[in-house]
Amino acid sequence: MNSIHFSRDARYFQIIFQCVFLAYGIVYLGWNAEWWLYFTYLGTSVSTQVLFETILARRRTHQWPAWNAIKNGLPSAVISAMGLCLLLKTNDYSTAILAAFISIASKYLIRFKGKHIFNPSAFGIVSAVLITGNAWISPGQWGSGTVLLFFVLCLGFIITTKVQKLDTSLAFLIPFGGLIFLRQVIYLGWPLDYFIQSISTGSLLLFSFFMITDPKTTPNHYKARIIWSVLVAAVSFYIVTFTFISTAPVWVLVFMQPLVPLLDYIFKAKLFHWKSPKPVKAKLIVFDPVQKKSL
Amino acid sequence: MKMKHLIIGVAVMLAPGIMSFCGFYVSKADGTLKNKTSQVILVRDGNKTVITMYNDFKGDTKDFAMVVPVPVVLKQEDIKVVDQDIFQRLNDYSAPRLVEYWDRNPCNNYPEMAKGLTGKVAGVQVSRDKYMDDAEKKETVKIEAKYLVGEYDILILSATESTGLKEWLLNNGYKIPDGAEEVLDPYIKSNLKFFVVKVNEKEKQKLNNNFLRPIQIKFNSPKFMLPIRLGMANADGDQDLIVYAFTRKGRIECTNYRNVNIATDKNIPLFVQKNFGMFYNNLFNHQWSKENKSVAFLEYAWDVSPQNYYHCDPCIATAPGEQDLVQSGVWWLGGKDWSDYSDVDNDEPDNGSKNVHFTRLHFRYNRNSFPQDLFFQVTPNTETFQARYIITHPANGDFTCDAGKKYLQDLKVRRKKELQDLTALTGTNLNNWQQDATAAADEETDATAQYRTLIPEVAAAAEHEKTWPASMIIMSALVLGGAGFMRWKGMV
Repeated sequence: MNSIHFSRDARYFQIIFQCVFLAYGIVYLGWNAEWWLYFTYLGTSVSTQVLFETILARRRTHQWPAWNAIKNGLPSAVISAMGLCLLLKTNDYSTAILAAFISIASKYLIRFKGKHIFNPSAFGIVSAVLITGNAWISPGQWGSGTVLLFFVLCLGFIITTKVQKLDTSLAFLIPFGGLIFLRQVIYLGWPLDYFIQSISTGSLLLFSFFMITDPKTTPNHYKARIIWSVLVAAVSFYIVTFTFISTAPVWVLVFMQPLVPLLDYIFKAKLFHWKSPKPVKAKLIVFDPVQKKSL
Repeated sequence: MKMKHLIIGVAVMLAPGIMSFCGFYVSKADGTLKNKTSQVILVRDGNKTVITMYNDFKGDTKDFAMVVPVPVVLKQEDIKVVDQDIFQRLNDYSAPRLVEYWDRNPCNNYPEMAKGLTGKVAGVQVSRDKYMDDAEKKETVKIEAKYLVGEYDILILSATESTGLKEWLLNNGYKIPDGAEEVLDPYIKSNLKFFVVKVNEKEKQKLNNNFLRPIQIKFNSPKFMLPIRLGMANADGDQDLIVYAFTRKGRIECTNYRNVNIATDKNIPLFVQKNFGMFYNNLFNHQWSKENKSVAFLEYAWDVSPQNYYHCDPCIATAPGEQDLVQSGVWWLGGKDWSDYSDVDNDEPDNGSKNVHFTRLHFRYNRNSFPQDLFFQVTPNTETFQARYIITHPANGDFTCDAGKKYLQDLKVRRKKELQDLTALTGTNLNNWQQDATAAADEETDATAQYRTLIPEVAAAAEHEKTWPASMIIMSALVLGGAGFMRWKGMV
């Protein structure tokens, strides 16, 4: 189980970078540092995680309390909470609590064959926006400075290499950017800086490198991952361009995630056929403590 | 969903030499803000949008013309003219404000007083040389509709290619600015119509006034935006735009540029009162440069629903009344004639709410910093915001009691802080303010606490102090901490 060590490292890594992004927003971009909101997300996520772990541990092994399972799951809960801090805005305590609770609960309640279906942060964000109507995403919050572009790219690159899902990021980013380019520059005839402005928003890059790449909610086989990412890109492009919902990728991600089990089902046969020399990716499942318990 | 390209906005055609920047208002505090300013009222709920464009063109009205890209062929009832005063009222009410407070003499007892002052913003407009009512010259341009609304003759054009449109406009006496074509082409391909306005002299004479009223248009579109690109083609340098937005849910924000709250709730020196307009202009300019220019500044956000009594704190002008809001296009407050939006795709049902949220955004744009038009979204953010600056008058009289001595000490400290903030906010050299400080009637204040005594002190201290922003330290600490952690975990 070498992969446990590996995946844990990647998660700590991710938390650090999420913190750097938040600090960047607060210090350099002058966001109103809404500490109450960040702590609400963090507190709720962690307590929900602990709650579910405890319940599961009791039901399965009658151990009490389940310190190991809790410890293993905490970084995931923090990552989800940080995802909310970076993206979801609200003025309301109850909305913040609901969003964080749904994020974490979805991991335990909406599962298929040992994998949870939805990316916790994305699912929490979408649910909070839909259910409460008083939460929102600010796509413009990062601006589109080119310095930031490289900053995000580099950091994102490293993190995705760490968890080996760079293929997902690129399979999303390249078709999405390509379609936008075709539409804005080739078809409509806008000058190049118009296109650059569209593509260099921090929100899009964060999404590509930190959200869509979640190893737990993307298909296991790399071919399936690429097909799936391209699909997300194409649908997002359509929605961004023709219905003017600038936060489309997050929505599309959530609504396309039910496709993942299907793709896993289809491509599993192939994976088996091919006898993939490196089944390591699939082993990332190990950082799901529930799974670990049941092993 | 049916594809609709819904771009709306103000595009401006300028004849050579007639570029007029009018409306140079002076605030009570003898200050002025930048006068190259356009003003627009946006009302948005669901997919419905009402846009009102300020018109303070002050030349010969025969020279006036305006081209606005619109998403659909507007019907006559979608266009109207409204009272010009609305803009002044909205501006007065939402402009950055200076608030005064009076210290109490701790050795005495005085009633507290407070009152507000304001700086004001001006508007700008449009012109052209002549207009001929020619029929279309080329088949690539089609006159979709022709209306007379108020004092304006209005044509709605559609075009299939930009050279045809450009030629049509040229042949009809419009001066096309250089670089407009790069914008016309994408607009045409996005299936936009062009709303072309000129003044009907006969109707104008009937009105017997010497100004042009604002034009208000309404339409349905999922796209919530203002096309600023056409206007930029001819604008020399930076141009200011004030957007007054009304929604049912909460603030609006820009989705393709960064939103920044302008610095607010700062204590500033007393002498700034005389020049508040200049102070705010400096402040805006400084913040704008500091934020790398491509930003939307929030200057005001409040719930102005008629049933909400607390519209500001403090109010610097009468809050817009229900009548003003309806005039501005807030259709859900009453006007039945604005509710015929039956053909909307995917529209939110009218929930009957009478809430009105007011957002004031201030843009300063130019071609380089703003490559795209402005896109907006309505958020459920109902938090209030106002650009508010505070001056405090010192107490007078005898300070021989212990509390009085302490007060003088505190006053000195406070005033030093005010001076430091003044530099930080406006980026100006403190010594530039020495004259104002000397001129201000500060005589009754203890000599050691007078601004003119403190300015050299603070300025000197600032020289010595290495301006190491705290943010740099935090960032470095974070990076180092992160690196250390990774090293410890064996990742690096």
